[in-house]
Amino acid sequence: MKIVAVAACTSGIAHTYIAKEKLIRASEALGHSIHVETQGTIGTEDELTPEQIAEADVVILAVDIAITGTERFEGKKTIKVPTSLVVKAPKQLLQKIESELNK
Amino acid sequence: MQVLDVLDERIIDLNAQANNKEEVLTLLSKKLKDAGYIDDVESFKKDIYLRESEGTTGIGNYIAIPHGKSDSVTQVGIAIAKLDHEIEWETLDGKGVKLIFLFAVSNNHEYARNHMLLLADIARKLGNDEAVERMLNATTVEDLKSVFA
Repeated sequence: MKIVAVAACTSGIAHTYIAKEKLIRASEALGHSIHVETQGTIGTEDELTPEQIAEADVVILAVDIAITGTERFEGKKTIKVPTSLVVKAPKQLLQKIESELNK
Repeated sequence: MQVLDVLDERIIDLNAQANNKEEVLTLLSKKLKDAGYIDDVESFKKDIYLRESEGTTGIGNYIAIPHGKSDSVTQVGIAIAKLDHEIEWETLDGKGVKLIFLFAVSNNHEYARNHMLLLADIARKLGNDEAVERMLNATTVEDLKSVFA
């Protein structure tokens, strides 16, 4: 799968970045490509490009708060989960998404 | 400024003695105070507990990341305690906690942007299971630093 994701947690200090790393490592392990944007206390990092979004099969929003820029994902298959789920079971999440997409 | 510069020996205790969350937070908060990162232990802890009340900071793999924004923080930093036994903590995997990273972040973070970026780098490492395994096995500050090098 080609994945784009946005991670954002309540205080924007820690969970956001842990979730990012978990998503990247799980994607690598399962053979998916992924780009992860973070919206934290320090602002937006690794902002997704329109090309990355256009090419993506799925959008994962790992967010505990309202994020900016969701209009970019209109018309895309989008899955919203809390950051805790990504931190706890990233591979299972990706496997579930993949099986849903293949239905 | 690099990640290694944030890992300050004065606020790292790899042989910490504590039996519960309160003792660990107090121990680390006192270290932060002594090293000049915060100006008041009690008000800092109050802000940490506020964040604790909002959601789980035990991320699994024996790691906890209590954090919060506090006016008592004068310098952004991260205090670390490693215990030789598990203590109770609210965690995502139901296990206890042995390694605690206490993030000290000020409410005015604009001036400390570089530090905040480094804290984000440290947080990312905590999402890497192999790196976490090495951290749990670290017995010296040098061991710990080598994980982030």
